[in-house]
Order: sequence, then C-alpha cells, then structure tokens
Amino acid sequence: MRVVVDHNLCEGNARCNEIAPEVFELRDDDRSYVLLDNPPASMRAKVERAIGNCPRQAIRLIED
Amino acid sequence: MAALTLDTIDLINPDRYVQHGYPHEDWTLLRREAPVFRYERPNLDLPFWAITRHKDIIEVSGQPALFRSTQRLFVVPHEPGMPEPDEAILRQLLNMNPPEHGSYRSIVSRRFTPRAVQQLKNQIEQITAEVLDDIAGREECDFVTEVSAKLPLAVIAEMFGIPRADWPMMFRLSNAMIGPADPEYGGSQTVKEALEQARMEFFQYFSALCDDRRKHPRDDLASALAAGRVNNEPLPVFELLSYFALLIVAGNETTRNATTGGLHALISHPEQWQKLKRDPALVLSATEEIIRWTSPVIQFARIATADTELQGQKIHEGDVLVLFYPSANRDEDVFEQPFTFDIARSPNYHLAFGIGEHYCLGANIARLELQVMFRQLAERFESVELAGPIQRMRSCFVGGIKHMPIRYRMRPRG
Repeated sequence: MRVVVDHNLCEGNARCNEIAPEVFELRDDDRSYVLLDNPPASMRAKVERAIGNCPRQAIRLIED
Repeated sequence: MAALTLDTIDLINPDRYVQHGYPHEDWTLLRREAPVFRYERPNLDLPFWAITRHKDIIEVSGQPALFRSTQRLFVVPHEPGMPEPDEAILRQLLNMNPPEHGSYRSIVSRRFTPRAVQQLKNQIEQITAEVLDDIAGREECDFVTEVSAKLPLAVIAEMFGIPRADWPMMFRLSNAMIGPADPEYGGSQTVKEALEQARMEFFQYFSALCDDRRKHPRDDLASALAAGRVNNEPLPVFELLSYFALLIVAGNETTRNATTGGLHALISHPEQWQKLKRDPALVLSATEEIIRWTSPVIQFARIATADTELQGQKIHEGDVLVLFYPSANRDEDVFEQPFTFDIARSPNYHLAFGIGEHYCLGANIARLELQVMFRQLAERFESVELAGPIQRMRSCFVGGIKHMPIRYRMRPRG
C-alpha cells in the first residue's frame, strides 16, 4: 500500500500526525507530509484511522 | 403518548426546536432502524433522505462530485413568505463545488490553519477577559447577549478590521441571516424579506469596506478578500460580497451557540463542572466534548448527481440528502455512551464541523475561542446556575440559544 496526501486539500489540521506520527509529519508550510510512503502492513489500521479522521479527507491509500 | 415510529418522527419542524431542542429520540430511532430514510411530509416541496449515522455522513461528504452542494443549503418546511427552496441569498463557499470551491477557499484558508490561528491567542485571551470583566461585580446576566455572543463577534470583526462601532450592526445582521424565521431576529417581515434586507445592508457595508481596502490595503481579512483572485480574475461582485457575509455570519453564530450550550451542559452536569475547575488541563478535551454535545449546525443538504446506493437504499439522480450532524455525534457505533457528557472523552472524532471538502473553515478559531472562554470561566466563576429558562431560536438549521439568564458568583480578574 502507498499513502498519499493531497496538498490541494490539506490545511494542516494535524489529525493524521496525532494518530500516526510515524507516517505523517506536519511541516512549516502547514501541510502534512508522508514520512513512510509504504508503511508496513502492521500499521494499516492506524493509517486507515488517520485517513478516516482527516477533516479534509485529504489522504488516500493506493493499493499496489 | 404514542410510541415514536418512523411515521411520526419530526425532524425539521422549527417550532419543535424552540420548545424541545434537538429531536435526539427521533434520530436515535433512525440510526437504529433506518439510517438512510426517505422522509416525506406534506409541507416539503421534495422528499429527502435523512442521513443520521456517522459513517454515512463521512461517505457522502467525501464524494462532493456525486453528492453536490447546491443553492439548497439545508431543508426547511414551507411557510408563507419563504424564498424558493433553490433560491440562494448568497453565492459562497457552502454552495460551491470542486474545483471552484477550492479556488475560493484558498483565498483565505491559510489564515485559518491551526498554526495561523495560534497567533490570535493573546488577542482572544484579552477580549475574553474584558467580556467577563463587564459582568463581574453583578450576580445575574444574560449569558448569550453579554458573554457568548461577544467573543466570536469581536474576534471575526477584528480579523476583518471592522471598527468597534459597527459590531452591533454585524450582530443584528448575522442574526437576521441565520434566524430569519425567528420573530425576534426576523422581525415582522417574511423570511424572504428579512434575508433580502439583511443582505442589502451587509452588501452596502462590505462594498464600502472593500473599496477602502483596495485603496489602503492592510494585513486583514477584508484586504485579503478585496485582493482575492480566482483563475487570475478578481472575484465577481456578488461572490465577493457574499464571501464577506459568509465569514461574518459563520464566524459569529455557531461558536456563540457552542459556548452557550457548553455552559448549559456544565451547569446541568455539576460533577463535570467541578472536574473542569479542579483540572484546567481538561479544557482541550472539554472543548471537543462541548462541540460534540452541542453540535450547533443541525443539517446541510446535498443533491445526488447520479443514481447510486447508500446502505442498500437506491438513491436517484436529483434526490436530496440531508446530513444530520448532531445525530452522527451521538452514534452508538462511534462513541461509547454517546448520551453521557464527559469532558475527558478521548478520542472524540465528532463531525460537528463536517468533514471533507466543506470542513468548517473556522474550526480552529472556534476551538481556540471555546478553549480560552471555558478556561477563564472555570477560573473566575465560583458558582453558576440558571436564573430562568433558556430561549431557543426558531430554526431547523442552527441550534441557537437566544437568551440564557444565569446567576453567579465571580472572582475579579486574577
């Protein structure tokens, strides 16, 4: 799986970073960046929770 | 009284909201038995699908192309003197769609991120302290007009650079825009007349403000809007003035009601109030719980652009869907003991600000205002109780409280 943040939508609410700090980082431009493009399967539940709770629904999971 | 059934539920009757507040029993029945329910009543021009579960509101909100926002922002029962259901008083973010919505939103969105909003913290602390100073030295006040309405109005007006002398006018026009069907706010005019009158006064005011900022730009929201461009063109005048009106109205109605409803909840749950007084660090989770509990926006509508299916129900192109946010925020599948007011609740992924494309632009400001207000209230109120019944606004769109008399003992500023 691959994680992508749409920077046209992201407004830096940082919910993803709270839920999965290993995967998402909030940077100075107030946007979330993906630290682990291909997070291990063990983190899937966490990533899905971050996706589901993104206020702007800006995160997507692409199945390889 | 007869048992509540799917035939007798009553979701958008404004008089019911005045008398009893939110129809939580009706929503609970719907979540359990018919989470995507076709609601037909003689006083509606069209039936609508009532969407009441947390996950379905996320699913609909996450597909703005399939479920479009239109001029029909929310549904109301027909009454004489109403505008047509598809007649928009303003053309603004809430009735736009991608990609136009994103282009308009990005004109100001950087001023509303959590980081940008933190820069307003000292100012919000100061305004809040002054608002509370004004009711110190007394024992009773109307918490709405004297406290909860003042902070959000002051903050949004300061962000716009609107002088203090004009704040009462912003208050009056915002009330007329949000509560035109309420006799106290709409006056003796019809709903259509009240809305058009408020729009005209708003537009005259913002038009002058805009001219001023084009000549003398400042670092404020009015200047940002006045200089705003979409597709490399300045905004058309109707959209520009609508944008001003949207931010002023949205910036001061909902936070007011969360503040009032939050204090009401704390008065009704004295053990939670004592807990907050003992441990001010709880104000962050308390704020989220207050927002979940009060859910000031009752509903927004969407229109399906194609035939589709939701929870096994066949939705047809052109069908109206209504998202009931306060219902999602009591969803048993998401919240443990959803009908318990628990200021330590965590996590608290409520949908009071919506989700997706139209997620509340001002959410971070609302949060900060509530955090500051409830921290100061917990610090300064030694005791507080209701001094009379609350008066609710006549609306099935925003759960407004117009008046809440309180009796209190208060410390001077510490």
